[in-house]
Order: sequence, then C-alpha cells, then structure tokens
Amino acid sequence: MATLQHQEPPAFFIRGPSPLARLVFFSVLSLVLMAVDARLHYLVEVRQGFATLLHPLEVLASSPVRLYRSVSQRFATVEALGHENQQLHEQLMRQAIDLQRLPSLQTENAHMRQLLEIRQILQQPARVAEVLRSGRDPFVQHLIVNIGSQQGVSAGQAVVDGLGVIGQVTRAYPFSSEVTLITDRDLAVPVQVERNGLRAIAFGHGRDRAMDLPYLPVNVDIREGDRLVTSGIDGTYPAGLAVATITRIERNVDSPFARIVCKPVAGTDRHRQVLILTAEPSDAMEETSAHKNKESSHAPHQR
Amino acid sequence: MRPISASQITLTLLAGFMIYLLPWDGVGMLLRPDFVLLALIYWLIRAPHLCNIGTAWLMGMLMDLSGGDLFGQHALAYVLVAFFAVFYQRRATLFNRWQQASFVFMLLVLGQIVLLVLKLFNGASLPGWSYFLPSVVGILLWQLVIYSKIRVTGEQEA
Repeated sequence: MATLQHQEPPAFFIRGPSPLARLVFFSVLSLVLMAVDARLHYLVEVRQGFATLLHPLEVLASSPVRLYRSVSQRFATVEALGHENQQLHEQLMRQAIDLQRLPSLQTENAHMRQLLEIRQILQQPARVAEVLRSGRDPFVQHLIVNIGSQQGVSAGQAVVDGLGVIGQVTRAYPFSSEVTLITDRDLAVPVQVERNGLRAIAFGHGRDRAMDLPYLPVNVDIREGDRLVTSGIDGTYPAGLAVATITRIERNVDSPFARIVCKPVAGTDRHRQVLILTAEPSDAMEETSAHKNKESSHAPHQR
Repeated sequence: MRPISASQITLTLLAGFMIYLLPWDGVGMLLRPDFVLLALIYWLIRAPHLCNIGTAWLMGMLMDLSGGDLFGQHALAYVLVAFFAVFYQRRATLFNRWQQASFVFMLLVLGQIVLLVLKLFNGASLPGWSYFLPSVVGILLWQLVIYSKIRVTGEQEA
C-alpha cells in the first residue's frame, strides 16, 4: 500500500490546474487588457513594436497575390492594351481641352482670391501609397497601406485618390499604416454642399459603403445628386475635395431631422494606389492664423 | 497512437495564422473561416496536455495584435471556446461524426458570438446573418478532419 501511494500518476491523468481555473484566469486577463486598451491607451507602443515584428510575415503573406498581379500584368493581351491606349488617348484629348483653359482660370482665380483677401490654398505635399490589403476586422472599414512613420506618415493625415477623399490615417506603424475609410462609423468629415455652401458633417454608415448626413432639419436645402466637398474647417482635409454625392433623402413627418444618405465619390473599395497628404494639419492651421494675424496688423495702416 | 510533439502543434497554428494574414478581400473575406480557431479546436481535442486554454489565449492575443483590434477580444473568445472544448474533450473523442461536427460547429459559433457581443459593447452596428458564414465554411472544412486519416482520437481508420 505504502509504495502505491508514492507512485506518480500516469501522464494521462496529469492535467494541471482545472479548466475552470484556467478559464477564469485567462478571461480576467483578457478583460483587464481590454479595459486597459480601451480606456487608458497604454498599449500603443506594444502594438507598434509588434506590428514591426509582424511586418516581414505580412509581406510574405501578401507575396502570392503580388506575384499573381505582376504575372497577370505581364501577360495582358495586345487587344486589352490597345483598348486601354485608345481610352487613354480619348481621355487625354478631353483633358487637354480643359487644360488649355486652366492657366487663364488659375490666374483669374488667384486674382479674385487676392481681391477677397482669402488665403491662398496651401499646396499640400502628398505621398503615393500602395494598398496592401483591407482590414481584417469585418466591423470596421480599414485599409493597410505600405508606407508608415519611417516615411513621414503620422496619424491624422488625410488620404485621397484622384476622385476625392478616401479617409484618414488612424494608426501609423513604422513600415505600414492603417487608414480608416470615410465609410467607417467612427469617422466624421466636415463637408459643404457645393451648390449652396451649406455646411454639415458626414458620418460613415459602417455598412453598405455609404455615408449619412445626420442632424439636418427636414426643410434643409439639399437635393438628390448634390455634391459634397470638404469644407476645410477641421484643418485635416484641405478645402474643396470631393467627398460624396447625395443619393437619397427621406423626410418623415414624425422626425425633426431629415434622413440623408450619400455615396462616396472616391473609390473607397477599388484602388490600389492612394495619396497621403503629408503636411501636418496643425502646421497648416498655424500658418493660416499667422497669416491672418499679419494681415490684421497691416489692416489699420491701410486705412 | 503516435505521440504528438509540441512543434507539430506550433507549426499547424502558425500555418493557420499565415493563412489568416493573407490579403483577403470581398467574398473571400465574407466566407473566410477562422483557420486558427479550427486548428486550436483540433489540437484541444486531440492533445489537451500540450494545447490548452493558455495556448488558445496566446493565439487570441496574436490575432488581436495583428488585426489592430482592441486587445483581448479574440483572446477572450478563444479562451471560452477552449474551455468548452477541454471540458468535453473526453466525450468528444467518443462522438460519432455527426455529433462531432455539431459539437465543433457550436464551438465555432460560440467564438463568433463572443466576438460579436464584445464588438457590440464597443459600439459596432449589428451585422446581418452572413456574419455566421465563416462558421459554416469552417464546419465544411472540418469534414476534412472527419473523413481523412487525421482523426481527433489519433487512431488510424480501421
């Protein structure tokens, strides 16, 4: 009997702490981490460090798709290329006509701005970024692009394409950055109706690749097909970039607000290359205010 | 029964993670099953002395870190799934194929529901029923486990 008691139990029965104990321990750990991450924002550095570590793996994972793209580009047929060439020629012709008018319009515009004593629109430097993939979380609308804080990208910068605003950089990792699209629920863009200058704020809808214009009264002067452009009030987006077009307006008698749905102009889900406007929004704001101060100090002398 | 080495488990889990890292898009994104969770469930039932709730938690943290989500979401979901998998592990090895498939399906759906609840607390809007498609695809993939020779009991087909 005595020898039996001292025997080790066979490995089959060794299971360490009970499943319930482990469950409680790891659940509490997860919940604490969640609370710390959501409320205290201590873990930003941890996340960035890990993203750097993970970067080679991500590059490796996206390499098959890149290979496929490059191969399919190489084997594009002559027909397709000819078709594309023709299209581009037509586009060039159309744009050349516009371009001829551009210098005169530019000088006229500059002149009028001077007359109105409005600041010159800042020429924002922009960087081309390639979209690596869309975000993995189906609940948020993210893009991951291939340049990061090492290339001068920082959180808060605006992201645009040839057609209009796409979104905003929300996290900059060393070699990649996360862009939140304007269709995300958490992103708001200050906009202006191009037709009448009415200011509003557009919120992402979260699903359906759409945006909402909430908190506008029922009798607001907005029509279907109106174009929304950035108003430039926030200092993040330069003024005058196309954001969306109004697709639907519902006016209910029982609600004081109109329900306005709009569709982003930019290809939020189509493009492989995007532009990141790398000028610091705060710099732009300071410059403007400095400019204004100077003007106001000059003003009394002129009078 | 062939003994299972820890490196085997690590390799499978890392392979699942690499598949998760592929640039999924569009329909693929909608249908993408949770490969890491599938691999975890397999090892939790097959080798609970090597792959336990702690392993599930670690993999969940890895997912959270790579996805840029709130820390601990996947970790909590995986821990809960792992608990049920381990709790019923001895019975699961005796299940027939339909019982086993439904057991795994319930585990996959449980994982998704936990994630959904956490996201809803965080202010996300309610997704449609298509949200559960990854679990359906996941259980279809699980048929591979059932009909191939890599059975959860580790026994070769008689």
